[in-house]
Amino acid sequence: MPLWAKIIIGMALGLIWGMIATRTGLSKFTLDWIKPWGTIFLKLLKLIAVPLIFVSLVKGISSLTDISKLSRIGVKTVTYYIASTLIATTFGLFLVNTVKPGNTFPEEKRAEFMDKWQGTIDESQLLAESSDHSPLRFIVDMVPDNIINAMGDNSQMLQIIFFAILFAVAMVLLKESQVKTVKNIFDGLNDIIIKIIELIMLFAPYGVFALLAGVIVDFAGDADIFLALGKYFTTVMVGLFILILIVYPIYLKIFTRKIPISKFLKAVLPAQMVAFSTSSSAAALPVNMRQNIEELNVSEEVADFVLPVGVTINMDATAFYQSVAAVFIAQVYGIDLTIAQQLTIVLMATMSSIGSPGVPGGSIVLVIMVLTSVGLPVEGLALILGVDRPLDMLRSSVNITGDSTIANIINYSEQKRNGKLAAKQKAQPNF
Amino acid sequence: MKQKKRKYPLWLKIIFGMILGIIWGLIAVKTGLVNFTEDWVKPWGTIFIKLLKVVAVPLIFVSLIKGITSITDITKLSRIGAKTLGLYIASTVIAIIFGLVLVNLVKPGHAFSQATRQAFQLQYENNIKDSEGIAGQLKERPPLAFFEDMVPDNIIAASGDNSKMLQVIFFSLLFSIAIIILEAKQVKVVKQLFDGLNDIILKIVDIIMRFAPIGVFALLSALIAEFSGDVQLFVALGKYAALTIVGLLIMIFGLYPTYIRLFTKIKTRDFYKNLLPVQVVAFSTSSSAATLPVTLKQCTQKLKISRSVANFVLPVGVTINMDGSSFYQAVSAVFIAQVFGLDLNLTQQLTIILTATLASIGAPGVPGGAVIMLVIVLSSVGIPAEGLALIMGVERPLDMIRTVANVTGDSAIASIVASTENEVGVEDFDDDNDN
Repeated sequence: MPLWAKIIIGMALGLIWGMIATRTGLSKFTLDWIKPWGTIFLKLLKLIAVPLIFVSLVKGISSLTDISKLSRIGVKTVTYYIASTLIATTFGLFLVNTVKPGNTFPEEKRAEFMDKWQGTIDESQLLAESSDHSPLRFIVDMVPDNIINAMGDNSQMLQIIFFAILFAVAMVLLKESQVKTVKNIFDGLNDIIIKIIELIMLFAPYGVFALLAGVIVDFAGDADIFLALGKYFTTVMVGLFILILIVYPIYLKIFTRKIPISKFLKAVLPAQMVAFSTSSSAAALPVNMRQNIEELNVSEEVADFVLPVGVTINMDATAFYQSVAAVFIAQVYGIDLTIAQQLTIVLMATMSSIGSPGVPGGSIVLVIMVLTSVGLPVEGLALILGVDRPLDMLRSSVNITGDSTIANIINYSEQKRNGKLAAKQKAQPNF
Repeated sequence: MKQKKRKYPLWLKIIFGMILGIIWGLIAVKTGLVNFTEDWVKPWGTIFIKLLKVVAVPLIFVSLIKGITSITDITKLSRIGAKTLGLYIASTVIAIIFGLVLVNLVKPGHAFSQATRQAFQLQYENNIKDSEGIAGQLKERPPLAFFEDMVPDNIIAASGDNSKMLQVIFFSLLFSIAIIILEAKQVKVVKQLFDGLNDIILKIVDIIMRFAPIGVFALLSALIAEFSGDVQLFVALGKYAALTIVGLLIMIFGLYPTYIRLFTKIKTRDFYKNLLPVQVVAFSTSSSAATLPVTLKQCTQKLKISRSVANFVLPVGVTINMDGSSFYQAVSAVFIAQVFGLDLNLTQQLTIILTATLASIGAPGVPGGAVIMLVIVLSSVGIPAEGLALIMGVERPLDMIRTVANVTGDSAIASIVASTENEVGVEDFDDDNDN
């Protein structure tokens, strides 16, 4: 049986077990004896993420023969990521303005939710305020002042990426003979890490089962929240599914032509499942890289660079979610947003999803920044906190699908370029 | 036809950056662009310091291992080690004595007005309490705490902390000695790996140094913008500040050249020309650890000091040799005593020499650096620590010059050790492409 089928079965069984457990009073048993296996799975994936990013980036970049190719791929990556995030945000605004999920929200529910989540909001607000807003902060934060310290902290991925790029560029600039041993060692390490990922993935069906059973049990009591937020919840869900099933396939169709959509979706499915059950795109990165290289034949030099960078700066779904949430809150409070304000939302959501990797509290803190930028009451956050976790799971799946899409597009354009160059070189002698 | 752009040497570009930084800082202060400078210019300076720091620990580790493993016998290693320590202590003692002579001759504290003293004490009360607290903890440590602190109990944790450089040095030494003792074939791959890593890290330093002119520009303009309000402090402390600055300059341009002339065959002109980028970076970052990558690069590639000596002597010097700081402590302690009308007898002055030397060797990476050490020195001879308030205001600019003196001292000692070991002028086959 292929791995993805096993993972899906694990997921389905996890859902079923979770429901049975809530009915039959096995909730505590599930939390004590099943959920830990999910936590272990999550830890294993995170454990391998830092070495994977470092080793694969160094290997990917140092195999480039000239720096111009690196800067070309780099520029492409950043541009495409920003463009796709902008599109996702705009799409979110369009959707929420059309559906207007906030207009029918009952007044008493609003008061009830605000009581319930006051504490969380205060905390997040503190976090949002404490982060320094100087304009170049993003770049300053990207540079580590001690690489060992940065590697010891899973939230400093961008610093590791920065150092890995610096290290690899130095390797490219040196003579082949000077770095031969280092290269050999990184090749070996890369193979070892990829093998470790394979080993971890053997455990994936059980991990996914445990994670999902845990989530269902955790959320069993909150079913009524889903009902109350029904329209909002559905809007976000449908929007995210449209991103996965329609928007990204369209990108692929327009920019690559070659890759069959069904093949793409099938290849990224295991990565999506892992992202869904762990709700962490960093944890899904190892799987995502493996699937892209092995199933979709993305070249290692592209995948090794584009995907780790994507985890930290490309968050289409997060940006999408921020715009929907912001407008939803405005609708509930009966505030009309002008075009200028909506544009501010697009801009802020895009910038914050790119510029704030590793902000503690993740997208909630980002939503606060977006809300304050257009003067919406931060307390409105209370309305959506209840369904944040399940939506976060979906968001992570969408985020890594977006990363894979861009990786495939860049891979295709690099291949085409190489093909053209090769054709040119072939044609040359005839002149 | 493409015209070839004229290439300026790196040190010239750095000096350029420095001058432009100062000019920009002054303009910013005059035209109200201080906030703009803080938001958009200063971050590039911060990035420059971070870049230098990120490469410091790997550089120390890799270059020490490479340097020491190229010394094939342990006796030579221990000889170099003993020489390094001996010379570092000697140069520190000389710097302190020089400071004491200077401050006793000029007596900058006698002309200090009572009113200013009280105003300063009020202003810096809190800072001093903090420093006193830390110093108090330090004083209670047992005499061998220095050695205890030098030994890491987890090398990854030590490597992850930029203030634990001495622990990293210790572990690198242990690691290298193990390599020397083993047979060559057992460690062949490890050696090759470290050779490769060493080349890579030096190349990274090259890349970072291309950014140096901009970094130096940003650091200096931010500094000027921040300190523009404190000009009157300088005037009030005029005699003291002037004395310290002149003393440090004499060390940099008088004392070390004498060492170089007496003990090495290196021309003083070459010494200064090649050290200039190091001094400029030290001045603008006021951190000798951040400057270390540059110091190592200039000493091995330009002064032609062999790797085996430079890679050992310089990283050790960053943590234990602080001539400029020791000089500063002696001057400041006596200055404060003079302001308070305390007469220091000969024993007390000798105590200052001893404590300042020990403090500069034994307290590497103490947060707050020289100020904390000064508290220790002050209390060793019974001068009130509140006197610190007098000199806090001009601490930062003096720190910049102290750092220059410190790194110049390290390089001078490295040159001397290398000369006595006949390790100068060895060809360094790394490509250097910056001038």
